[in-house]
Amino acid sequence: MSDIVLDIKNLKKSFGQNEVLKDIHMTVASGEVISIIGSSGSGKSTLLRSINLLEQPTSGEIIYKGENVLKKGYDLNKYRTHLGMVFQSFNLFNNLNVLENVIVAQTTVLKRQRAEAKKIALENLTAVGMDRFVNAKPNQLSGGQKQRVAIARALSMNPDVLLFDEPTSALDPEMVGEVLKTMKELAESGLTMIIVTHEMDFAREVSDRVIFMDKGVVAESGTPEEIFVTPKEERTKEFLTRFLS
Amino acid sequence: MKKIFSLIFATLLVFSLVPATLVSAASDDNELRVGMEAGYPPFNWTQKTQANGAVKIDGSNQYANGYDVQIAKKIAEKLDKKLVIVKTKWDGLLPALTSGKIDAIIAGMSPTAERKKEIDFSQNYYTSQLVVMVRKDGKYANATSINDFKGAKITGQQGVFHYDLIPQMIGATQEPAMSDFSAMRVALEAGTIDGYVGERPEGITAESKNSKFKMITFSEGNGFKTNPDDTQTAVGLRKDDKNLEKINEVLATMSQAEQTKIMDDMVGLQTHSDQEIGFWAQVGAIIKDNGGDFVRAAGMTLFISIIGTFIGTFIGLLIGVFRTAKKSANRALAILQTLVGWVINIYVEIFRGTPMIVQAMVIYYGSAQFLGLSMDKTLAALIIVSINTGAYMSEIVRGGIFAVDTGQFEAASALGMNHGQTMRKIVLPQVIRNILPATGNEFVINIKDTSVLNVISITELFFQGNTVAQQNYQYFQTFTIIAAIYFVLTFTVTRILRFVEKKLDSENYTTGTNQMQLPLKEATIELGGEK
Repeated sequence: MSDIVLDIKNLKKSFGQNEVLKDIHMTVASGEVISIIGSSGSGKSTLLRSINLLEQPTSGEIIYKGENVLKKGYDLNKYRTHLGMVFQSFNLFNNLNVLENVIVAQTTVLKRQRAEAKKIALENLTAVGMDRFVNAKPNQLSGGQKQRVAIARALSMNPDVLLFDEPTSALDPEMVGEVLKTMKELAESGLTMIIVTHEMDFAREVSDRVIFMDKGVVAESGTPEEIFVTPKEERTKEFLTRFLS
Repeated sequence: MKKIFSLIFATLLVFSLVPATLVSAASDDNELRVGMEAGYPPFNWTQKTQANGAVKIDGSNQYANGYDVQIAKKIAEKLDKKLVIVKTKWDGLLPALTSGKIDAIIAGMSPTAERKKEIDFSQNYYTSQLVVMVRKDGKYANATSINDFKGAKITGQQGVFHYDLIPQMIGATQEPAMSDFSAMRVALEAGTIDGYVGERPEGITAESKNSKFKMITFSEGNGFKTNPDDTQTAVGLRKDDKNLEKINEVLATMSQAEQTKIMDDMVGLQTHSDQEIGFWAQVGAIIKDNGGDFVRAAGMTLFISIIGTFIGTFIGLLIGVFRTAKKSANRALAILQTLVGWVINIYVEIFRGTPMIVQAMVIYYGSAQFLGLSMDKTLAALIIVSINTGAYMSEIVRGGIFAVDTGQFEAASALGMNHGQTMRKIVLPQVIRNILPATGNEFVINIKDTSVLNVISITELFFQGNTVAQQNYQYFQTFTIIAAIYFVLTFTVTRILRFVEKKLDSENYTTGTNQMQLPLKEATIELGGEK
């Protein structure tokens, strides 16, 4: 088996009395593409946000390169540079143009020289097909274009893992395709990805592994074939019938 | 003659508990710094030239003259010191003296028992006679006794004993006190009052300046019963001033006849009533005579409000960033953070919760009296406006930060940026755009509110207007001009800010929604990928 990038153990997260994640175990191997599916409120977005600590887990461990990142005094900002995040609502920086959106974290966080950062930004913008929009402001772009810039921004930090939080849910139907195409290309390039999604066809086609979450636990996990064709769990079947019908 | 009782003075009484001798005198030893209103003719007034023995007013291009100035010259000569006239509002005279900003008050001030608790007085240098000013064409023009004012609306200057004499006038109605003689003259001319209680020299001047006024004098037994303390005038000095004896010597050499002669000369110097010309001609004449002063004063107003708004906004931004920072994990730092947070809360609450006019008095005079710190007036004004604006701006910035989408913070965090980097690179640029309209508003408010700085004698627009009106007695005309200047300032500033906003928006959102409707290929070219 290839290297383990992330090892998540006994992860729990509560919002007040409401326990959203109940004892999650999950490993992510290098180069693996994992899709997390499940109905709304099953905890899949919270899991993703807990992985890069946008939500502080209540208890458990997240082991990254042999160290528990939830340990006191661990350099969180540094850890986050190794995990790219693509949001449902894009979250491009409104005050910066496309190019600066992709450059800013490289120069401020990674302390890259501007020339180098610009070169990397242009490479990634080219990869997502947004290189001709470098001077545009976020407000001038369509949703699909914004999301592709957001992907380029995350890629430019050279992350070990790229997290996608329902990247196509806020898009108009005709724009979903362009974003999925970009993601597929990334998956094929060997990048490690964790994708929370409702695009079942995409999950089935691209993933190495699919995780089905229900009520805060991992209900079933397996290859796309196992989950979509021969699900073992009753609730997985129920979900898929409901979703695919 | 005058008695101070104003609220502001009451606030400052607390400072007077500090013995004046402990306070370091701000002035240099070869100068005699004399405080006066320079707006209470014939005792003291402001003029534009050195004519008739006038003395330059400290920090301005104008000159002071009048009975008090002539007395001050004699005293300075005897003490072998250079006379410096410091123009000071009436309410500011006592605190200015006790805080060491001036060395003596020669301002037609009476040695009342209350004042004697705070400062020392020389012997009497003028004894005055009480009169009532009325309109010549009014019902009370022929009065001869204080009891001839049945049904009349009478007032007097706030904090001056004149006002307390009104109940002696049987049948007259005591109107609320007014802040100064200028205001009372305007009210009398306009007919909102029927008369005001004043003193003979001021009455003669007013009568000669404005033909509509008549001064009513009273013969023995028909006039007011007064305390000799009130009708006498003396030089005010800090307690235990060693110059007191010498000053008394000078005053002792002046006979009653000499006093009257000087006073008559001074009353005579006051120019006679204005010829009857139209309103706009008068406005034109005022602009012609004082245009330069008005422009300079408007410059001062703009200067203080621009710098004040700028620094205030900066303070607001700092506080905003501090307040939105996450609690530090380090325990000692977290405690420090809480403490600083409290200090900031106290600062914001106090400065938002008290009037700027009171802050000005406390900061300017308090710093001198308590800390022995002699602050430049303009510097004090800048500090007052800045920290006042800062208190308001901190709340505006807080709102501006809340208005930034949480997604912006999350995206920055996800990229590994810390709080400072997130604020500097991402949030603050958006906050500044968000708060621009409110900042412009604050700027406009500051332009108008700097007028309260006249209490610490800043030569801003309102102060200059008052100075001119006190000389020409044309209050309506003068303040119409001042109002017009204020309006031009605020209107211009508003337009400029609107323009800046538009400009910023066009940079951010250039072609806006139209762009979305173009076919992708065209849009690409138009959006300037080629640049």
